[in-house]
Amino acid sequence: MSLFINLFVNGVILGLLYATIALGFSLVLGVSGVLNFAHGVLFALGAYGYWVLKDFMGFWPAMAGATLIVGVIGVVVERLLVRRVYGEDPLFGLVITMGFAMAIEQVLHMIFGAAAKTVNPPAFAQGVLFLGDMMVPYYRLFVALCCVVVLTGTWLVLNNTAFGAIVRAGMYDSEMVSALGHDLPLLRTAVFALGAMAAAFSGVLASSIWSIKPGMGGAFLMPSFLVVLIGGLGSIRGTVLGGLIVGLTTSLLSLVIPRFVDIMPYVIMAVVVYFWPRGLLGKQNILE
Amino acid sequence: MMTRIGKLMVLICVFVLVGALTAPAAEDPIKIGIVSPVSGNYGDHGKLERMGMKAALEEFGSKVLGRPVELVVADSETNPDVAARRARRLIEVDGCKYLMGAVSSSVAAAISAVATENKVLYFATNGNSDTLNASKANTYMFHVAPSMAMLVRGGADYVAKNIGKKWFYITHDYSWGHSGTAWARASAKKLGVTEVGEIKVPLGTRDFSSQLLQARQSGADVLVVTMAGFDNVALLKQLAEYRIYDKMKVWYTLMEFVDMWPLKPEQRQAYANVEVYWNENDKTRAFAEMLQKNNPDTPCPMPLDNGTYEGWLAMKILLTGIQKAGTDDVDSVIKTIEGLEIKDNMRKYPTRVRAWDHQVITQIDLIKANPKATGPAMWDVIDEVDAATVARTKAENPINVSISK
Repeated sequence: MSLFINLFVNGVILGLLYATIALGFSLVLGVSGVLNFAHGVLFALGAYGYWVLKDFMGFWPAMAGATLIVGVIGVVVERLLVRRVYGEDPLFGLVITMGFAMAIEQVLHMIFGAAAKTVNPPAFAQGVLFLGDMMVPYYRLFVALCCVVVLTGTWLVLNNTAFGAIVRAGMYDSEMVSALGHDLPLLRTAVFALGAMAAAFSGVLASSIWSIKPGMGGAFLMPSFLVVLIGGLGSIRGTVLGGLIVGLTTSLLSLVIPRFVDIMPYVIMAVVVYFWPRGLLGKQNILE
Repeated sequence: MMTRIGKLMVLICVFVLVGALTAPAAEDPIKIGIVSPVSGNYGDHGKLERMGMKAALEEFGSKVLGRPVELVVADSETNPDVAARRARRLIEVDGCKYLMGAVSSSVAAAISAVATENKVLYFATNGNSDTLNASKANTYMFHVAPSMAMLVRGGADYVAKNIGKKWFYITHDYSWGHSGTAWARASAKKLGVTEVGEIKVPLGTRDFSSQLLQARQSGADVLVVTMAGFDNVALLKQLAEYRIYDKMKVWYTLMEFVDMWPLKPEQRQAYANVEVYWNENDKTRAFAEMLQKNNPDTPCPMPLDNGTYEGWLAMKILLTGIQKAGTDDVDSVIKTIEGLEIKDNMRKYPTRVRAWDHQVITQIDLIKANPKATGPAMWDVIDEVDAATVARTKAENPINVSISK
């Protein structure tokens, strides 16, 4: 029983991290209708940015620095590339962002080499919390806390600020937002930058758990997509729910059928989309 | 009216021209196609094997039979379909008579199928699955890396007698991983070892928290791991994160230096079988130093890793075979390589190429990682085993792929 509880807690932590990784993907898809396949490489850029900066400054400044730098990269990418495909078939966005991702992955390869790099968690989050038979590394608790803060913060901004109201309106009817005099291109740039920052922030958090490699983002791109499809487009709560479903499935199924842990989220996604085409908590959105 | 001198001049010019056009062209190069991962889960391993191949080629002065040797590299992307396509292109478009490379066994099997179909000689450099010299063995492929039977049997005795007798397995869920666990199980039966559980992990897994929580509570005293690539770097890191070493010892059926090197010293505590260790003796040390000097962009310091060594050995065997055969005719080269013995291989035991199953046999090392070592000398060699004593016998693997059978 203690193992089950331990795996459950572990699944919740993983789920929160998956939700945070998927957050930016969900926001960009919701507001701009772009399947951002550069999301994984922005995640990797955050991890590498942190790896470079941590030698010059403490944990917090390095984390903030990496997140901001990738946010700026996000602005550049949106202005130069992604902007060209708004209103087009989502396939164009997918291809252009995938091309960018492949190029950047090779650049990371050239600069940092193919070998993996590892970083230790910051000093304050090292060690393990033992509760009888159960254990949780402190760093994983810290990761969960950071994810809760980011997810809650995003939810509050979207639901309680004027900017959030415009973003949510943009998810339903971007033309109307434009007609009402709001600067839609600026809104989309801001959302893409926020999405890039969320990806980079998750990359920083993940770097101390999963280590760093140029292709590290690829492993989390599809899970992000699944989280969004299961939870529902245009809903922060949906993203959290989707993340928790994927995290708990991954953790608990390893007890029963470990070989199928990576297939099961796809099965769940297929079932969910069959019965709830917009995802569990999805609303009408600009893709319809 | 042309003078006689003029006619003579014209004649000389014509002779010179004709001579220039019909002079024997410089010898055509011998092309060797390298299908090796540049990207994907084994990108850094691919880089190491290519470094080894190039080093061996340079030892031969980049020539054999007086002809230049050209390496044509294609990225396998650690994907059997891609590798097969690229191998076909190397044969049909680039005109390669020899192929070499592949880190993963499934990729090696795919390349081997294309090589056999085209009667091209292929060296599977770094796949360790037993199938490569059993069900998938064929006359046109040599299996250079030790099979999992050799690796696991090279360490199982020591582990059972000195480390622990209750084993929990973590297995990478594809052919190579399965063979590692299967041989450990077979040895366990003979050695009176109890199995307390197994978790199969899909390729591409990055988070092992749930698997390690189960291993911790299994009551095992040895965690037997068959896992490689970037997945393994993440696992090694999480073995430390989940304090596995406080609960049990960890034994890897096969470890790559480049996988363990990125960790902090205190996180390196496992036992492992390896195909070579750079710090094994003076020759390996000198070779590793030379590699490091010539490859500033190496993925790890002292880059004589398993992959590097098998790449070097494959190229050395092939070029020695061509030289001894006196021709680049593929069948003649295969005949020469079958039964070949290479003594100057930097190791305690010589390299032998078995004719009946095309397995290359050298040496297996058992190492223990030293958590206090800060530099690249991070392992201690506990045992050096002659691979011939642990390789499968004819009775265990009743096949014969020799070209002379």
